Amino acid sequence: MLILTRKNDEEIIINSNIKIKVISITDGQVKIGIEAPKEIEILRGELYTKAQEVTKIASEASSSVLGDVSKLKVNKLGNKVDPDANK
Amino acid sequence: MKISNRQFGEIEFTKEHVINFVHGIYGFEHLKKFLFIKTENDLFYWLNSVDQPEIVFPLVSIGMIHEEYPRESDHEPFGVVTLSTDPLKITVNLKAPIYLNQETKTGFQKLIDKDEYPFNFKLFVEN
Repeated sequence: MLILTRKNDEEIIINSNIKIKVISITDGQVKIGIEAPKEIEILRGELYTKAQEVTKIASEASSSVLGDVSKLKVNKLGNKVDPDANK
Repeated sequence: MKISNRQFGEIEFTKEHVINFVHGIYGFEHLKKFLFIKTENDLFYWLNSVDQPEIVFPLVSIGMIHEEYPRESDHEPFGVVTLSTDPLKITVNLKAPIYLNQETKTGFQKLIDKDEYPFNFKLFVEN
């Protein structure tokens, strides 16, 4: 991994079309500004990792035999029936 | 062309059936080609990897869960389903939808970084 030291307001340029700028540094938190072409996907790392995990679990569970759903209905987003279930 | 797996047995298809995912799917970034399969008598669609036929994802159309869900130009949103033998434990991923265009045979997955869209949304509730 390339490691660079940057101060407030200093930038890093990647590939001449991606600009990463240190906006502020306070109490163990750094605020970063990123300018990049629209087609470049920028994600918080932990969200990306979670998306990978959830998709892998879905793939592993794909052969589950479906039980009887005849007495159930499809849930709608906005239903507040059981908010804990959606965490 | 033919592939086979435990889920569907033998599947025969032509190049025109293949949906191209240029960036793959989260966790399966190396898989770029999928078949889009609709099974009868239930609400599920399936994405079946061409290169690794055992890799299968059940999907549901997100339109039936949330009509105002974000659209992408010409691509319809589908949620990856985590199945369970207990239907009340089945969940849909509304945070990382798969967008598909069956005409252009293109698909992609993206993350929607908003709290209102959970990774594990309960698909069924008691009637």
